[in-house]
Amino acid sequence: MLISAYAAMSGSYDYSEVARSVLIAILASYAALDLAGRVTAARGWVRSAWLTGGAAAMGLGIWAMHFKGMLAFQLPIPVSYHWPTVLLSLLVAILASAFALYVVSRQKLGLVRALVGSGIMASGISGMHYIGIAAMRLAATFRFHPLLVTLSVAFAIAFSFAALMLAFDLREETKQTASRKIASAIVMGAAVSAMHYTGMASVSFMPSAILPNLTHAASISSLGNNGIAIVTVIVLAAAVLTSSLDRQAEAELRHLNEELEHRVVERTTELVVVNDELKKLKDELRLVIDTIPALVWSKLPDGSADFFNQRFREYTGLPLEEGLGGGWMSVIHPEDRSKFEDEWHAALVAGETFDVEARLRRADGQYRQFLLRGVPLRDELGKIIKWYGTSTDIEERKRTEEALQEAHARLAHITRVMAMGELAAAIAHEVNQPLAAIVTNANFCLRQLANATPNLEKLREAIAEIANDGTRASAVISRIRALLQRGAPERVELDINQLIQEVNVLLRDELTRNRVSLRADLAADLPRVSGDPIQLQQVLINLVMNGIDAMRTLTDRKRELLIKSAKNHSEIFIQVQDSGEGLDPQQAERIFEPFFTTKPEGIGMGLSISRSIVESHGGRLWAESGSRGARFQFTLPTK
Amino acid sequence: MNDVAPIVFVVDDDPSVRRAIERLVESVGLQVELFASPQEFLQAWRRDVPGCLVLDIRLPGKSGLDFQRELAEANIPIPIIFITAHGDIPMTVRAMKSGAVEFLTKPFRDQDLLDAIQLALERDSARRKQDSEMATLRELYKSLTPREREILPLVISGLLNKQIAANLGTSEATVKVHRSQLMRKMGANSLADLVRMAEKLGIRAAKPNVP
Repeated sequence: MLISAYAAMSGSYDYSEVARSVLIAILASYAALDLAGRVTAARGWVRSAWLTGGAAAMGLGIWAMHFKGMLAFQLPIPVSYHWPTVLLSLLVAILASAFALYVVSRQKLGLVRALVGSGIMASGISGMHYIGIAAMRLAATFRFHPLLVTLSVAFAIAFSFAALMLAFDLREETKQTASRKIASAIVMGAAVSAMHYTGMASVSFMPSAILPNLTHAASISSLGNNGIAIVTVIVLAAAVLTSSLDRQAEAELRHLNEELEHRVVERTTELVVVNDELKKLKDELRLVIDTIPALVWSKLPDGSADFFNQRFREYTGLPLEEGLGGGWMSVIHPEDRSKFEDEWHAALVAGETFDVEARLRRADGQYRQFLLRGVPLRDELGKIIKWYGTSTDIEERKRTEEALQEAHARLAHITRVMAMGELAAAIAHEVNQPLAAIVTNANFCLRQLANATPNLEKLREAIAEIANDGTRASAVISRIRALLQRGAPERVELDINQLIQEVNVLLRDELTRNRVSLRADLAADLPRVSGDPIQLQQVLINLVMNGIDAMRTLTDRKRELLIKSAKNHSEIFIQVQDSGEGLDPQQAERIFEPFFTTKPEGIGMGLSISRSIVESHGGRLWAESGSRGARFQFTLPTK
Repeated sequence: MNDVAPIVFVVDDDPSVRRAIERLVESVGLQVELFASPQEFLQAWRRDVPGCLVLDIRLPGKSGLDFQRELAEANIPIPIIFITAHGDIPMTVRAMKSGAVEFLTKPFRDQDLLDAIQLALERDSARRKQDSEMATLRELYKSLTPREREILPLVISGLLNKQIAANLGTSEATVKVHRSQLMRKMGANSLADLVRMAEKLGIRAAKPNVP
């Protein structure tokens, strides 16, 4: 609404200029709203740069609108402008803009702050407006219409308040804000224009004869006028463009950030899943290790324990902390401890798997037999980093084994007794022989003593022989007793040749009776072997008796039995060969089966027992059919 | 012959037993020779030396019973006393049937062995005596003329000279001369004497044609 004083010069508006000024106002408003967002989003020196640049662009926009509006007002007299004042008005516009941007970019915008802010901003804009008017140099005086001035200031305040609120509201940049920003910019532009043109209307120009002071004044040509508009538009466009690029960059950055964040979330979720799976796996493994029917442990290279499974803890009743380190050794039976320690240390030194049996104490104090096994875990350089092992309860197995051994020993004994029974006559002969000599010698002595002049020399001889034969008879008896006794198998160092000789003595009569001539081909200097003399004699007796039996029906050739001993690498090799019919090749293996026999009175245990005896000594027993008769051979390791 | 002292031969593979027997037998004044095997004994044995054999049943390589048979087959009639550390009845029976003097089980009573040795030596001596008598008889028989040997079975069958003469187709006087020659050469004091001698020589009485 334009109110002009009656005495005032009548001015006219160039409406295209007005339109341009309104356009600039809208553009500046848009820039302001846009920049507010940038200032808010930025931090540090970037924020200051945005604030400064934004304030400059916005201030220039407001100022350009204002100046354009003034230029659109055409007076009949020439008007020029005092440019320092124009610059001042521009400065005020920039400061007001800076202030406005500062206020809206704060965290909070309370009503008081908004009001105060809009007051200050409005005074800036008003100041800029009226300073701009003051820059006019023309042959006229100004007259201000107080109501309109107040109205324009009120407009300024209202516009500022609305602008602040809108900018604050729109500063959070989202996609939806673009259209709202344009709408708000149009409203604000309109408000700014309204304020400006109200302000313009409040001024009347009274013609005056006084020539205006034209120092530092310049008239604005239409080229300059357009120049201002173009520069302003360029600046504003540049500001908006920069802002938009910046926003785009920021949006991209934000997008990247979001993507990153998303990825982090995704990865975190994945990690959580993997962690869960790992935990599940670990729990499962632990469950397996804890429930596996064995005591499981791991030890460090120095032999100190660092893990025991639950079964270990339950079996031993040892709390984990007591078993760790060297504490676990306390559950090993004291009698087994030194053997175990030897093996364990040997394994530690050699770095090889170990395998040792020992009794372990149960929580109730009872000991049970265990098989302890360990394997080393090595790193890529071959250095042992850990020992893993299990201890398995073999008590039942051990007992069964022992029972089996016991049964075996019993059976061996029975067959031995039976063999002795078969040999009873031969054995009686061996005892009776020295007894006959003793009785005869004793009688001789008695006769001599009954003489008036006994032959003392002969007496001495006879008595010495009595003593010798007594010893001899006793030796035979104890040998037989040993064979008949049922003792635990023992291991002593023995001379196999001597054993063969002893057996020959026992069987001499049996051989003679069956007209078998025995030839012994014994290697000298045989190393000693470790064995049970009774059991090995049993094997020899069994083989010799079998040989005798095999030749019993032989009439067309000599009945000959050859016993040979020899050394073969790390073994001693004993051979018993007869001159009988030989073995049916199909029977060569079967004869070792229990209860298999080729003899009418046999029970088929002899060879089966003999083989198990030899095998328990670490040797082998087998049969071959030689060129002449059967050949039984067995080996014994010499250690 | 009677002056040669008998020897007790001992074959046992057990030196201890051998020596004990040696001591015992020597203590009763008999000569003893010891052998570990039958072979050694055979090399030492001489037919003209009287004695007996103490033999262990169990011998290296062969049994005493087998050796007994071998000796018999080789016509070595030495009396045998078996000793054994384990004897059974069949073994004893076989030994005794084959002419063993005694079968003793070790350990035996000293007197039993000595008695057995005594008996064996007596048997040997008797056999030797018998053997020498037979040898004499055979010598005498060899000294007879063919005609006298022809007459002998007829004489011991109890024929009269006349009957013998008829049988031989000769005269009674000739028969009488031959008969007296026969009796003289044989050293027979009587017909009964001659009959016993003929029996020992295995000459049987003739079954003449008695007219």
